Amino acid sequence: MIASFIPILAVDVLGSVAMVIIALLSLYKARILRELDPDNAVFLYLLWISTGLTIFSVSRSFGHILRQFLMLTSNAEVWHAISAYTGSINTVSFMLVGLITLFFNQNWKINEKILTGRKKLEKTHIELMDLNQTLEHKVVERTERLTSSEHKCRRIFEQSLDTIIVTDSEFKIMETNPAGITLTGYSRDEMIMKKMTAGSFFADPSEWERISHKIGSEEYILNEEVEFLRPDNEALLVLITGGIDYGAFGSAKSYHFIIKNINEKKQMERQIAQADKLAALGELSAGVAHEINNPLGIILGYSQLLLKQAPEHQDDLKIIEKHVQNCKTVVSDLLSFSRKGSPEMSIVDINKVVDGVVKFLSNHSDFRNIEMSLNPYTGDRLNILGNEQELAQVMVNLVINACHAVDGKGKIDITTKKAEQDKILIIVKDNGKGIAKKNLTRIFDPFFTTKPVGQGTGLGLSVGYGIIKRHRGDIRVKSSKEKGTVFTINLPADGTTT
Amino acid sequence: MSKKNRYSLQLFLKSIPAMTIAGLILLPINGYATQLHASSEGIITHQVGHLFFLFSMVTLIFTITGKGLDQQKGWRLIQYSAFFFILWNLDTITAHFFDNQILAVKIENISILKMKIVTNNNSSLLAWFYYLLKLDHLLCVPAMLFFYKGLSSLVNDQRQMMGKKDIQ
Repeated sequence: MIASFIPILAVDVLGSVAMVIIALLSLYKARILRELDPDNAVFLYLLWISTGLTIFSVSRSFGHILRQFLMLTSNAEVWHAISAYTGSINTVSFMLVGLITLFFNQNWKINEKILTGRKKLEKTHIELMDLNQTLEHKVVERTERLTSSEHKCRRIFEQSLDTIIVTDSEFKIMETNPAGITLTGYSRDEMIMKKMTAGSFFADPSEWERISHKIGSEEYILNEEVEFLRPDNEALLVLITGGIDYGAFGSAKSYHFIIKNINEKKQMERQIAQADKLAALGELSAGVAHEINNPLGIILGYSQLLLKQAPEHQDDLKIIEKHVQNCKTVVSDLLSFSRKGSPEMSIVDINKVVDGVVKFLSNHSDFRNIEMSLNPYTGDRLNILGNEQELAQVMVNLVINACHAVDGKGKIDITTKKAEQDKILIIVKDNGKGIAKKNLTRIFDPFFTTKPVGQGTGLGLSVGYGIIKRHRGDIRVKSSKEKGTVFTINLPADGTTT
Repeated sequence: MSKKNRYSLQLFLKSIPAMTIAGLILLPINGYATQLHASSEGIITHQVGHLFFLFSMVTLIFTITGKGLDQQKGWRLIQYSAFFFILWNLDTITAHFFDNQILAVKIENISILKMKIVTNNNSSLLAWFYYLLKLDHLLCVPAMLFFYKGLSSLVNDQRQMMGKKDIQ
């Protein structure tokens, strides 16, 4: 049969070219798919098939075009020589495509496993994200609450007027609040850097031993009244409460102490008690002095009369007269201690009184080895409404007492100053042997003296106390054994003059 | 099987390699290391290759249907591609059967415009059938085109899916 060769030729050549082009385009699309989801095993499979089909198309098209060319150029022998090779390559290429195609099921299963795994992973990821978000939210919430709580505690700690001290298990100070710095007189750095212990503040080491032993055995102490000693040797009465903190989350054991300054309260209580006692003594003394004063006057009158009329007993009568005079002095002092109100009050310049006393006493032989310094207030005049002689008497008493305290050799400082609320202060300070603690509450009692018999009546400070009280003032004493004594007179300034 | 017989069988099986080596040494014969291949093997192999390709395409069609992927346009187009490849394979297998296997048809190029198809029994029907079979690109090009269109559709689907995920 004779037929047209054109359709065969056209379909063969154009079809071959189209196969190559479409196969390459398919390979391009398969690559895009693979890039869109590199983990998808099915897309990888499609890429393999596309590759196989491209190899198949190229090899087959090359063979077909070459055949047509050689046949048309009358090179049929050449084609017969190479046709076996191109045919074999063609066979291998479409077998390869067939082989790859058969792996579809396996690829699908692998892909399903990957997808299942990925879904599980995504689900777990979402759950983890949720958990993480919840956790973050809780952390933020708890942190805010913790910060607020910490801020509250810190404010309480910082603002507390009572001292709060935190120590480690060996009572070494780790933290204290500003009140602690004020109370103890030590800076925070001193306490922490120098590893001071809570016991460092105790005036009596045996007291600290007792307290530390008690807190160790009972795990707390409650309102223990102890005495602290500041670096300037000022003694303070404090109430101390403390306990053990075993710490949270494995932190070390620590001790917390709350210390309350009761010094002023105690002093006030003592002063009230003292004032009450002295007031009662004053009443008693006034009664006794009044009763004794009249008989003494009679005895003195008769003894003086006899001295004139019977000179043969002159020596005995003079002894009687001398002792009666002594008795009258004592009675006069007692009356002075208990007298209510002063009949002769005028404006008195305190600096002038003090200056006069210092000048008068500095010439005395007892003050020869004493370094006496006067630090008068240099501002306005320190005027008060009072009795100059009585105030001078008080000052003389205090300075003489100071002289005795330093045993005639030492230092006496007298200072006058203006204090708040129109108060005038007179401070007499010595560096003598000090007053024993047990005697401090009795020094203003009439007839109380630590001097040997015959060297003092024990009425000097009592009289001074009475005079200052009559001037609506106040006299206080602070003393440290072997370190000295400070007497502070507090008098109201005269409001009419400045 | 008794215990004694089982033991005898095991002993026999174990002795086979030793007996083979002994036989090769004691009874030497001529050895032919490679087999000679007839020229007809080429066309058989080629035909088997086409059959294998055809079989894999049938498998692909059923696998796609079995997994319900034919609901997706892309995979459906790939199924069409596989179908056309099956047709193409049938076409080529038939053509090779006539011209290479049973040598029932032969082409003689008369000119660039004309060709002569010579059949054994001068059957014009066979000649025309063979002429149509020679236009096999009319089957494999659509097959390839469907494959390309299928991949394009899958790319679009994948992009749309990823776009939705990004929006979510």
